[in-house]
Amino acid sequence: MNQGSGFRRSWRSNRALFLVVCVLLTAGMIIASRAGLLAPVEDLLTVPLNAVSGVFNRVSLTVSDNVSRFSDVQTLQQRIADLETALALYQSELVDLREINSDYQRLANLLSYTTSVQNQEFVTANVIAVDENSSLRTITLDRGTRDGIAVGMPVVAGVAGSNVKGGLVGRVIRVSANASRVMLVTDPSSAVSARLQTNRVEGTVRGKVAGTLEMDLLPLDAQIVSGTLVITSGLGGNFPQDIVIGQVTSFRLADSGLNQIAQVSSLINFDTLEFALIITNFQPVDLSIFEQATPAP
Amino acid sequence: MGTYWSLPLIIFAVILQATVLPQIRIFGGQPDLVFLMMLSWAIHGRLEQNVIWAFVGGIAQDLMSAAPTGASVLGMLLLAFGIEQIQRQVYRIGFMLIIALVIMGTLLQKLVFMVVLAFSGFAVYPLENLTYVILPTIAYNLLFIGPIYWLIRRLQRRIQRRSTSKQHALTL
Repeated sequence: MNQGSGFRRSWRSNRALFLVVCVLLTAGMIIASRAGLLAPVEDLLTVPLNAVSGVFNRVSLTVSDNVSRFSDVQTLQQRIADLETALALYQSELVDLREINSDYQRLANLLSYTTSVQNQEFVTANVIAVDENSSLRTITLDRGTRDGIAVGMPVVAGVAGSNVKGGLVGRVIRVSANASRVMLVTDPSSAVSARLQTNRVEGTVRGKVAGTLEMDLLPLDAQIVSGTLVITSGLGGNFPQDIVIGQVTSFRLADSGLNQIAQVSSLINFDTLEFALIITNFQPVDLSIFEQATPAP
Repeated sequence: MGTYWSLPLIIFAVILQATVLPQIRIFGGQPDLVFLMMLSWAIHGRLEQNVIWAFVGGIAQDLMSAAPTGASVLGMLLLAFGIEQIQRQVYRIGFMLIIALVIMGTLLQKLVFMVVLAFSGFAVYPLENLTYVILPTIAYNLLFIGPIYWLIRRLQRRIQRRSTSKQHALTL
């Protein structure tokens, strides 16, 4: 007994050995996690975390909504007080109505998008958390394998105040029983084959660290006009065709001088995204089979 | 005893970080509560406790992220050992040293995290990350270290007092 505790004390007191053991343990954990060996444990642990996060997220969004609305109301009160003080009585009712109206607008956008696209099936999901690490741009939705969600499914959302009905949010990269993680198009690791809607010129839309989008690999002779919609081309088999990614805001010559790059602004505000639609009947195409060397006949 | 407190506190911090704090993001930076709690605990805590805080905090953070589990642990582990080394060199860790630890610690934590991400196949842009994520995070961490250090120090003192009185009772 004494020997055991003495041994424990001695190897803990050897700081270098303790550090090496801890680092090796962590490295093993990272490798196992990347290989998917820890997936069952991770899924099990994230279930309660996601459940509590969902509640917190809802509360924080409501509070932040009300805070911004409160400042609006204060400004209005300042103006209205000069003209009609009685109107102040209706302020609280106005706040409630605005809340209902904004919820209605968001849901109406989603509904109009789902009815406009005939050949796609959707599952509506709430955003319950955003990525812990600011370098990564992913969100967590409250739908998982129990709702038929699978890795690779595209995610879209309604666009408020625009003629465009829906815009691309990203792609499901991980699923647990009751939640799924979506890599946003704005993530630096995201690359989507895209084309300009007007002249069908093709390129690749990549996310940037700052949360913006860039359309790369546009030919030198391509006519690019600011305001043109950028849509998915379907090349690569990861996304269906013709989903709106964003709008060209500006363009420039690439540093290499071999192609043009367009700055693209997404029509979706990812910071305030509350609902999203997961396209459930789209099967991503696995092209990796064609990348393997073909045996000689 | 202090290690038992780490789990609920860190889980609360992780949930706050994934839900409430994104509302106050400046560029890509937001306060790193788990890191600050670990650092505050490590300044007066024992190495074994600090290592447990680093593991629990890092794993909890990674569970709420697309990063592989353990990616956030590595930086915090190095920091825990670094702080312990500093503790042995100086009489006490004062205000200026805490500020320096927050700056250097955030930098170390983020850089190690980026290296792990790069090795895991994620696209990493160091320069953009530095200006867009790391510098705002350092600013936020400097702002938040005061209240978090105060809170953790109070908790540590209370735990120490309780364990001392228990030992007294046992010797009597």
